Order: sequence, then C-alpha cells, then structure tokens
Amino acid sequence: MSEPRTGTGATSARADNEQVPDPVFEIRDIEAGYGRAALVLRGLSVTVTAGSVVCLVGPNGAGKSTVLKVASGLLAPRSGSVLLKGADVTGLGTRALLAKGIAHVLQGHSVFREMTVEENVRLGAYTVGDAELVEQRCARVREVFPVVGERWDATAGLLSGGQQKQVELARAMMLDPAVVLLDEPSMGLDPKTTTALFDQIARMRELGTAVLLVEQNARRALEMADVGCVLDLGRVHISGPAADLLADPALGRLYLGAAPNASAASGAPDAATAPGPRPPADDEPPTNTAPDDGSRP
Amino acid sequence: MPSLSLLAQGLALGVLTGGVYALLASGLTLYFGVMRVVMVAHPAFLFLAAYITYFLHAVTGMDPLLTAVITVPLFFLLGVGIQRVLVARIPQESLAMMSVLLTFSLALLIEGGLGYVATGSYRSITVDYATTSLHLFGVAFPYDRLIGFGLAAATFIAIFAVLRLTRLGKALRATIQHPDAARLVGIDTAKVTGIGFGIGLATAALGGAVLSIIDPFFPAAHWDYIGKLMAIIVVGGLGSVRGAAIAALILGTIEAVVQVSGGATEAGLMFYAFLFATLLLRPQGFFGGRLAERF
Repeated sequence: MSEPRTGTGATSARADNEQVPDPVFEIRDIEAGYGRAALVLRGLSVTVTAGSVVCLVGPNGAGKSTVLKVASGLLAPRSGSVLLKGADVTGLGTRALLAKGIAHVLQGHSVFREMTVEENVRLGAYTVGDAELVEQRCARVREVFPVVGERWDATAGLLSGGQQKQVELARAMMLDPAVVLLDEPSMGLDPKTTTALFDQIARMRELGTAVLLVEQNARRALEMADVGCVLDLGRVHISGPAADLLADPALGRLYLGAAPNASAASGAPDAATAPGPRPPADDEPPTNTAPDDGSRP
Repeated sequence: MPSLSLLAQGLALGVLTGGVYALLASGLTLYFGVMRVVMVAHPAFLFLAAYITYFLHAVTGMDPLLTAVITVPLFFLLGVGIQRVLVARIPQESLAMMSVLLTFSLALLIEGGLGYVATGSYRSITVDYATTSLHLFGVAFPYDRLIGFGLAAATFIAIFAVLRLTRLGKALRATIQHPDAARLVGIDTAKVTGIGFGIGLATAALGGAVLSIIDPFFPAAHWDYIGKLMAIIVVGGLGSVRGAAIAALILGTIEAVVQVSGGATEAGLMFYAFLFATLLLRPQGFFGGRLAERF
C-alpha cells in the first residue's frame, strides 16, 4: 500500500506499483473562481480512472463543489484543462459535456418534484433518441436502484430524501455516463440511508462508472472510495488510496473529524465539517434546492 | 330578487363568459408557471390581436376567427422574440419585479401605438353568427360566447396535452420545477423558456379574435382586463393552468349572477373581493396550490 502523497499532483485509483489503468477523467492545474472574486481553485489536479470512486474531502470553502462545477461545465476555468478519455473538453458547456458522458448530480435535492419517478428517470435520457435504448436503460436502473422500480409511478416530490437521491442517481445513469459527479449526496440523510446510498454508489462503480464524489461526511465516504483527495485552500493538499488516508491518525485529526471507532460504532455523520445543525431525518420533508411553490422570484 | 329565469340566464351567460376569461388568462399562467414572469402586457396583446383581426377582416373580408391562422403563429414568434431579446436579460433574482415594469412599458407602448394607428375611438366587428343565440329550455346562449367557450376548452386541452404528453412539455415542466437540474439532463432551458413564452402569447392571438366579436374595443380597454385576469390566476393558484380555468369559470359565473341580482358595479367588484380574500386566506391560490396537482 502506498503512502499518501502531498501536493497538487495527480491522483490515480490504484496503488503505484500496480499497472495504472488509463484515466477516464482528468482535471489538470485548474484555476477557477467566481466573477472578480479571488480564485477558489489554485492549480488543482485530480484524475479518475474507470470503475473507481475518487472522493474529495476538506473543510468548508476548500473548493470541493467548485471542482464539480468546472468538471460539468457550469463554471469555466481561468486556466488549466479538463480531459475526458484523453480528449480536451475544457470550456465546453453543460450539454456538450453531458453528450460526451459527464453527468452531474447536484447538491441538495434536484428531482422534478411534481413529476413521477418514471418521468424523472426518463428525462435523464432526454438527449437519447433511440427509444429501444431508453427502455433498456430504464430496465437497468430499475434493477440497480430497486427503490426506483418500486416507486416508479409515485410523485417524486413525495418520496423521502434518500429515495429522491436514488432517483437522481438513476436519472444520471440513464445516459450511461463515463463519469458521474456527485455533490454531497449524503447531505440531509440519516446514517442508515447514507449507508444504503453509498452502497448504491459502490454498485455504480461495479458497473464500470467512474465517480468523482464530494462529501462532507468524509470518513464514511472514504471507507467506500478508492482514492481520497484532501482539499485545502483550492489545492489538493494530500491524496492517495482512501484506506491510507483513513489510517493516518494525523490526517484524521486534522481533516476527518471524530475517531474511527466512534464513527464506526455509531454510524453517525462524522465529517470534516464545521459544526452545524443536526441534519434532518430521512423521513422529514426534504428541501428542494429550487423552490417551486411560486415563491421563487 | 331576480326571477328564476333571469337567474338561469345569468348563470348560463356567466359560465360562457367564464370560459372566455379562461381563454384570456391561459397565457398568463404559462408566463408565470414557466418563467415567474408577471406579464402585465398580456391584455394589451389581446387587444393588439383584436385590432389586427379587425383590420384583416376589414381589408380582406376574412372571418374574424379565421384570422387566427395568421395571428397565432405571428404572436408565437413575437413571444419567443420578446422572451429572448427582453425578458432573458433580466437577472433571475429580480425577475418578478422587473418583469412587471418591463411588461407595463410594453403595455403602454402597444396602447400608444394602437391609439396612433387606429385612434382612440371604439371599433367593433359584426358577424352574423355573433349576434344570434341558441335557445335551450328558455335560456339564450349567445353564439359568440359559445364560440369563446369552445375555443377556451380547446386551448386548455391543447396546453394540457402539450405539457403532459410531448417531449417539449416535459422539458417545459422540468424547467419550471428545477432549472439547474433541467440543464444538467441536457434540456436547452433558454430555448424551452422562449417557446413557453411564445405559446403564452399565441393564446393572446386567439383570445383577441374572440374579444373582437364579443364587445366593442378601444386601445385603452386592456386596463379593464388586467385586474380581472390577474385576480383569476391568483385565485386559481399562480402558474396552475387547471386552477386558472376553474377560477375563471367560477368568477365569471359569480360576476354574471351578481350582475342580474345586484348591479354592474357590484359585479365588477367581485373579482377584487375574491382576489383580496385569496391573498388573505390562501395566498397560494385555491385550485392549483398543491405542488403535486399542478398541470
């Protein structure tokens, strides 16, 4: 097992002494920020190989979500490059990147609340013209995400927070993406639901999908991930096999919150997070990131 | 107390007028539902359509309702253009307020333009079928309002079918419910929003044709309608197509019944009384407020 590395170097999903598979997705030396404000990402690099989960952790404001925005084309980087299967896709818009196989699942809940689960999932294949292929993929996501199949005709906004997140994952998988970007998928979920959700993410990995995951629930996410990257001040501070990061006591103290035993025993969200309010239980009504009750301006 | 037959007549007229109101208000629900745009200029566009209908009828002799073949696509394109060129420039965070100001100025522009071209005097179109009535059980159903009611029903069924059954409709609903997620599944939300606005304005073309045969009109007549139509979409639940249709039928009926039993002043007040009561008791509206039931 290799030691965690420090600095901004690229990170692969396998240990160094093994044959390194071709990276499916790379972010190289990215600098990015919002408007005229100071840079959020300062020369950050991350590499994701096929069928692996790379988890970005770090304190609030480290730039975790910004990495995903750059990766999915929501934010254009000021410098650096984004590569998908070796091809430069830097600066392409969301739709172009989606067509090339990059799917982004947003932070918070982003189901189309007033549509059925089926309508939500089928909209994931909005850009797919082949009806037979859409049916095949529907069948597959129903198999991979059993809850989605069980609640197929239900109105998505009436599902629990965990179920909604599974609908979002299923919707993203309808494009059979090369890479799925997941932004804080466990936010607002109880520990049991979080475990089930991470199991689903592991299942996506088994199907060959590369996952770039941003999580505040750091310790729990690293237990499932192949590679961990600790971000601080817009750079990859430390990276390496996730198990090595978890085993490093100094790192644990600094970035991963509570001790492993405590978190393993309770299953509580341990998070390298700033103290905050208790996340709502899974059966509490979830908050949609885009209010659609007429209150939105 | 009015006689029973007068009440029955008022009721029949009210339901039919409610249908016309529903047609006139249908576009407003789309603007708000799709884009959170408060389109104050919608009635002005209704009368712009009425004037175009008037001139097409006067010059070519076309049937006023047939002119919709020309005005509906014209207004659709106009709507797409207005959304893409004007509305899309308003920042999302100030859209509701700024859209009121923008569309208010559009309404003034249309009123001024119509006054300049067609003068401020009343115009009306007389067609044979609009001056007679269908008599059933001693109650007269004026054909012009029957036509308006039929067109309203057809428009609502068409809008409902588009939103429910077509790919465009699903994209529109997704854009309404979560614009960011809609973008991330590959929906061109800017284009879809433009089309939504275009469909809204196309209903104004149809409504204008109906208005032109029902009542005489003049350039400033749109002010009489903006309050009523806004009341309908608020009572129905902002953004709800079905809610607006139900509210239009109810308020139209109440207006007509009050008119035969009380008077024109009280009848006109009904819309505002219900608007006030809705804002006080149930600001989300009475028929479309529940998220899961919209569309």
